[in-house]
Amino acid sequence: MADAAFLALTVITIGSAIAALELRSLIYGSIALMGTLGGIAGFFFLLDAPFVALFQLAVYVGSIAVLILFTVMLVKRELIFKKIEDKRRKFAGIGLMLVVMVGLGAIFLDSGIKTITTDEPPVDFRDIGTDFVTYYWPALILMGLILAGSVTGALVLAKREDVENDQRTN
Amino acid sequence: MSAIAPKFKLSEFIKSLLDNIFWIVLLVSLIGIPAIQVILFYIEMPVINGELLTPFLAMTWLADPSRSLPILKAFMATDMFRVMAFPGFGFAALIAAGTIFVERKMLAKLQLRVGPFYCGKIEGILQLMGDGLKLISKEIIIPAKADKPIFWAAPVIFVATAAAFVALIPVAPGWVVADVDLGLLGVFAVIGFFPIITILSAWSANSKFPFIGGIRALFQMVSFEIPLILSLLGVVILTGTLNLSEIAASQSSFPWIIFLPVGAIVFFITMLAELERIPFDLPEAESEIVAGWLTEFSGMMYGLVQLGTYLKLYAFAGLFVVLFLGGWNGPMVVPPFPEEILTDGIVMGPITAKFPGLPLFDQQMLNGTLWFVLKTVGVIFFILLPRGVFPRIRIDMLLSLGWTKLIGLAFVNIFIALGLLYAGVLGPGGLQ
Repeated sequence: MADAAFLALTVITIGSAIAALELRSLIYGSIALMGTLGGIAGFFFLLDAPFVALFQLAVYVGSIAVLILFTVMLVKRELIFKKIEDKRRKFAGIGLMLVVMVGLGAIFLDSGIKTITTDEPPVDFRDIGTDFVTYYWPALILMGLILAGSVTGALVLAKREDVENDQRTN
Repeated sequence: MSAIAPKFKLSEFIKSLLDNIFWIVLLVSLIGIPAIQVILFYIEMPVINGELLTPFLAMTWLADPSRSLPILKAFMATDMFRVMAFPGFGFAALIAAGTIFVERKMLAKLQLRVGPFYCGKIEGILQLMGDGLKLISKEIIIPAKADKPIFWAAPVIFVATAAAFVALIPVAPGWVVADVDLGLLGVFAVIGFFPIITILSAWSANSKFPFIGGIRALFQMVSFEIPLILSLLGVVILTGTLNLSEIAASQSSFPWIIFLPVGAIVFFITMLAELERIPFDLPEAESEIVAGWLTEFSGMMYGLVQLGTYLKLYAFAGLFVVLFLGGWNGPMVVPPFPEEILTDGIVMGPITAKFPGLPLFDQQMLNGTLWFVLKTVGVIFFILLPRGVFPRIRIDMLLSLGWTKLIGLAFVNIFIALGLLYAGVLGPGGLQ
């Protein structure tokens, strides 16, 4: 069961990644990118990490993909790209990617990952949370400060001084 | 002679009816019943009254009441029933349909109009059915330069996403379609899909008004997701769990709205914005941009989007009830099932009828469902009410509300929750 799901997810993830690169329509390309990110969320589900998987869905598919989609919709593609269809370059690109992936996969398989056996139960997200507020608290504080700083900075940057207009009443 | 059908003849009409009945009986007995038997042969059948329900026994439930109730019960325990009927799609669609009618009627009364009046004898109660038939029978028109695959898929995906949201809401103890350990995170993940569908459908229509509406919807939904998520964290801090059923069960003595009223208010306002209700209905502003991102939808495609919208409304109201109003918890008002029917059966004069499958639902489930529905309907009422009272606000007011005021209030709510936790007043599991 897990094998079939794994294979299906692999096909979806890699297939939509290729589609995201190769499709001429930018909108369909970004939809394919969403497929890739969703496939990665599926991998996290298979790895017994639903917490990460749901955040992958909420943040990457729900926010970042929307951002990309929105940016693409405001772009007039014809003004930026000149259509140069070159079949040979396209297939060379796909071939190069496959070679790199096969090479990486061979390295992974050769690294002894197949001989690792573990019976340990999956780590509960509550344990991670407990670790963060006890032993690793400086890291948590640092992350919190960075995030708070970036959110405040974004708000300050996005704030706009409106032109005074007497006809408008807030 | 009728004016509508001048060539109408009663004898012809009866003849055609009999003709239809003949063909139906013939086809059912020749094809229908064998097909049902073949299908039953491949379905895993439950054990009823100590014996396996074989396909040969399956049809006897029509004649044998002592077998029909247990079969019904076995069916109600299946996942399919949960997804399609009770806590899932059917139940939610029923509430959604009721909401549409009540909304129209209530707004009319608020504004001294009559509202739906002629369909059905009493106060236009059949209006909804009439609207549904109209939408189904209308032609689906697709703009010539639309991006057809996305345009076709958008309404279906919208309804599917709304149904996925509905599936996460627990209605009664143990009655939830998907009892996920990380239910609240699942809700955040599902909510994140709505802006994508909206902007894609708006873009694919290749028309000005839908695109303006879609961009407005995107701005509104994405910016209000942040205060929405932050306003719910207070409840998570106090309960120590993300499972929606456990959150509802933790409120057996008091609802969280007593301790976290700020979070509840922020969540309610963000809920209105996510649902595109007045005063935040800029994406559909009918007086400025026709119907916003719904402009190019016609026929049943529009019907599907509308169904999805109201399913989403029910799911948000249910989420509010589960997180802040105590979910299914409430005083026990449903009477217990009478014991004598279980022991003696129903006695009517000389006849005694025994029903081995009773009771169909236990008392707790009925009570929980009753309280959940009552509270949800109350929340839906408060979601509908602003539409009759408030005007629409400007988009810059909306964004400044979401980005500055609501996020600030959500953080205040988190600090209240943390204060209660560290002062030792409350903690995971309830009052300490």
